[in-house]
Amino acid sequence: MSATLTIAKRELRANFDSPVAYVVICLSLIALGFTFFYYEGGFWQANRASFEMLFVYLPRGLSWVVIPVLTMRLIAEERRAGTLEMLITLPVKDHQVVLGKFLGTWAVVLGLIASTLLFPVLMFKFWHLGTLDWGPIFAGYIGLVFYSAAAVSLGLLVSSLTESQIIAFFVTWLLLLALHISGMFMNRVDDPSLQQILAFISFDARLVSFSRGLVTTRDLLYFASIAAMSLMASFRALERRKWS
Amino acid sequence: MIEAKGLSKLYGPFRALDKVSFQVKRGEVVGFLGPNGAGKSTTMRILTCFISATGGTAKVHGVDVFDDPLEVRRKIGYLPQRAPLYGEMTVWDYLQFTSDMRGLDPSTFKSRMKRIVEVCGLAKVLGKDIRQLSHGYRQRVGLGQALVHDPPILILDEPTSDLDPNEKAEVIRYIQEIGKDRTVLLSTHNLAEVEAACARAIIVSKGRVVADGPLSDIRAKSGTVRYLVTIHEQKLYEGSEAYRAGSTRRPPSSDEVSEALGALPGVQRVRELPTDDKAHAFELSGALGGDLREAIFQLVVQKGWLLLEMRRESQTLEDVFKALTRGDERADRGRPLLAEDDDAAAVGGAAAGAAALASAADEDEDEDEDEDEDEADEGDDDAAEENGGDDESDGDDENDDDGDDDDADDDAKGKKDGR
Repeated sequence: MSATLTIAKRELRANFDSPVAYVVICLSLIALGFTFFYYEGGFWQANRASFEMLFVYLPRGLSWVVIPVLTMRLIAEERRAGTLEMLITLPVKDHQVVLGKFLGTWAVVLGLIASTLLFPVLMFKFWHLGTLDWGPIFAGYIGLVFYSAAAVSLGLLVSSLTESQIIAFFVTWLLLLALHISGMFMNRVDDPSLQQILAFISFDARLVSFSRGLVTTRDLLYFASIAAMSLMASFRALERRKWS
Repeated sequence: MIEAKGLSKLYGPFRALDKVSFQVKRGEVVGFLGPNGAGKSTTMRILTCFISATGGTAKVHGVDVFDDPLEVRRKIGYLPQRAPLYGEMTVWDYLQFTSDMRGLDPSTFKSRMKRIVEVCGLAKVLGKDIRQLSHGYRQRVGLGQALVHDPPILILDEPTSDLDPNEKAEVIRYIQEIGKDRTVLLSTHNLAEVEAACARAIIVSKGRVVADGPLSDIRAKSGTVRYLVTIHEQKLYEGSEAYRAGSTRRPPSSDEVSEALGALPGVQRVRELPTDDKAHAFELSGALGGDLREAIFQLVVQKGWLLLEMRRESQTLEDVFKALTRGDERADRGRPLLAEDDDAAAVGGAAAGAAALASAADEDEDEDEDEDEDEADEGDDDAAEENGGDDESDGDDENDDDGDDDDADDDAKGKKDGR
């Protein structure tokens, strides 16, 4: 097994060795169920078989709770506790450490996203609530996979810049909050170029396209490039120790 | 096996390492000594490729640490300070993780584990979470992970810090066991550990190597021998000729004894020691090759003093260490960077340090006492020092790359300065 996968496996296990991951995942699923079915009328009042709101609530829940909690310790805690020195002095390259940590945490988030597939499967396959257009569902999940890669890598980047988990949590939370709600301010600014920028960076605006069944390479590239740039920046931040 | 040439490390204006050079040969167990902040961990981090040097080169097992860090890391087993381990993992899982990271196949890992469990005494804790273990066991696990790939070189950074005396003794025993067939660089500031486990030591101070050689050579570096002489304060030897002749009826004063001892040929320095008894105790320094005991005895007989104790002893490693690293605790890291033409002076730091040794230790103790007096008399000065208002000698140290010269001068002034 390569060093990257060994680190990813350890990260995955580390999440489930403490109760934090279980608590966060369970509470997230409960909160998601409540908001999806009951918040402002929820699914039952919509009078149509649509999961569009799932793809609005789920990424917000991930960005505002799950991903900051899971990513805050990734490098910050290792640096504070000194385990980073032990890890990096094993025969491993810095980029393998970054990639391994990213993959391990992304896998947890993907697991959580995958568990929400129970909603449409149980409702429309087992309980036969009606006919569902599965196209937007698959497109929405493709969007979530790409979005979660970008969000996790941003959290990893923030964690690599500090030794404090608390700082890492709040900075990641603020960053993801800003990226989600930037679209809301689009109509409140007069400057058209600023409007374009806010629309361009908005996570919500891009995720809405996926939830309606529209998979565009532009949106995929946006999330993929955020992930790639954040991982490269994390690598640089990790490498910085050599020369600081 | 390990070769460092002119290693330097700067953190902005802070100079952590200053042209450190040394070699560790195959099969040697070498103590890497120095006070806290002397540059031990920085050197080890460079050797293990965790950080990069600002200048100089280092090779481990013939491989340059800058050119091929992965190969270097494959050749070494490293235990960083305080054995930072993943607390949520069990001992077995953690060792398996390091084995996987090092690319060992499962069968090799299992066969290695038999030996590691035996050498490091891990049999009872293999299934326990690391966070439940005592410091001693964590150090053992740290040693275990360093041995899992059977490396030819071990680099151990203060493996006994935070341990109780029993745990320290155990870890040292493990290092002795491990060191039988490996090259070991052992960083510590515990001199007893070095005496127990190493045949050779490198002493660093203020980011420089100030001594490097076999322990016996380092002990002898001071070039002096100590004599402890204790004279009764209230009695004379009534059988002496002087007493019977009536020329001496009064017990000697401290000044009188000090003056007489200091006047003996070969005595370099006399210093009074505190005693609880009704006695005058003095420490004398003499040349390494000479023996002053005969002259001291004759003086005592001639004066009619009552001799309670006389002992001759070489300087201990601790004395040498204290002398070589004195002043390290003071903040003089902001001193100017070395110019290129200072290279020779830096490389020759060990020689310069050794030259000042004989007197530095004594002066250090005197200085401590003086400081105590100063504190008692002039307590107000403390606040000034805490605020960075160093006294004159500190200021000299800050501006002078070779503070040992100052020590030598000071000592020359203080020679035979009995109290």
